[in-house]
Amino acid sequence: MKIDATQPLEYGTEENRNRIFGFWLFLGAEIALFATLFTVYFVLVNRYASGPSGAEIFELTPVLLETFLLLTSSFTIGLAIHAMRLGLKKQTMMFIVITLLLGAAFLGIEIYEFFTYVHEGLTLSTSAFASSLFTLLGTHGAHVAFGLLWGSVILIQLKKHGLDHSTANKSFIFSLYWHFLDVVWIFIFSFVYLKGLM
Amino acid sequence: MLKQLFPIKHVAGYISSLVLSAVALVVLLDMPFASKMAILVVTAVLQASVQLVLFMHAGESEDKKSVYINIAYALFVGLVTIFGTLFIFVWGWYS
Repeated sequence: MKIDATQPLEYGTEENRNRIFGFWLFLGAEIALFATLFTVYFVLVNRYASGPSGAEIFELTPVLLETFLLLTSSFTIGLAIHAMRLGLKKQTMMFIVITLLLGAAFLGIEIYEFFTYVHEGLTLSTSAFASSLFTLLGTHGAHVAFGLLWGSVILIQLKKHGLDHSTANKSFIFSLYWHFLDVVWIFIFSFVYLKGLM
Repeated sequence: MLKQLFPIKHVAGYISSLVLSAVALVVLLDMPFASKMAILVVTAVLQASVQLVLFMHAGESEDKKSVYINIAYALFVGLVTIFGTLFIFVWGWYS
């Protein structure tokens, strides 16, 4: 293993650099995935049949809360990587814990929202609008849920092995994933919720 | 210590993303539809760029050219999927 000491730990070996680049390729595929889900939603947004429409069912307050939580979590995972590059293991872990807590709070509000929708008569099979909405939001929410598991496992590895080429690399790739989820949410916030409410 | 853990670049990025989210809320006021969509597109794209460049360090690795080409290609595929479909199914281009 050739180690390049001029690079941050996560880029330190060729394998690490390849892993990070490979993850960027995966994120490219994720962009295409979410583009198709947005496409379906945009096409079907006005096909709400006899069920409620977006304007009737969306509420601004929980959406603003979700946006604030996710933006903040994206900030804290950025701080985690910054602390990691300073070699501060404790602070890195602390910021990852905060990130995961914010993510869990986001997910809690999203589940509460889904619960409210179903309560108000919007289920997966109510209308084409409902199906496309739940698929888009649900895919994003499932990504966040998976991120919570992934982040927790990385925390355990950091605790056990400390900051080395392997754990720094994994933490950095996790941060890319988490930032990406925030990017997707920004588009959901703008083009699903705000557009639906305006 | 606090200054070391909270670099100004990250704090500025965080505040600007909060401000951009708040700015996007003006579309809930009364104004023409086209202006609303323009505001949403601009604020969303700016926010995405803040994440990509500032937080995801897209430009710092030695293969940054490949990273940017990959993202550009993915965006191309995504935009063609979205607008190509809208052309056919919503804007009635086929008739």
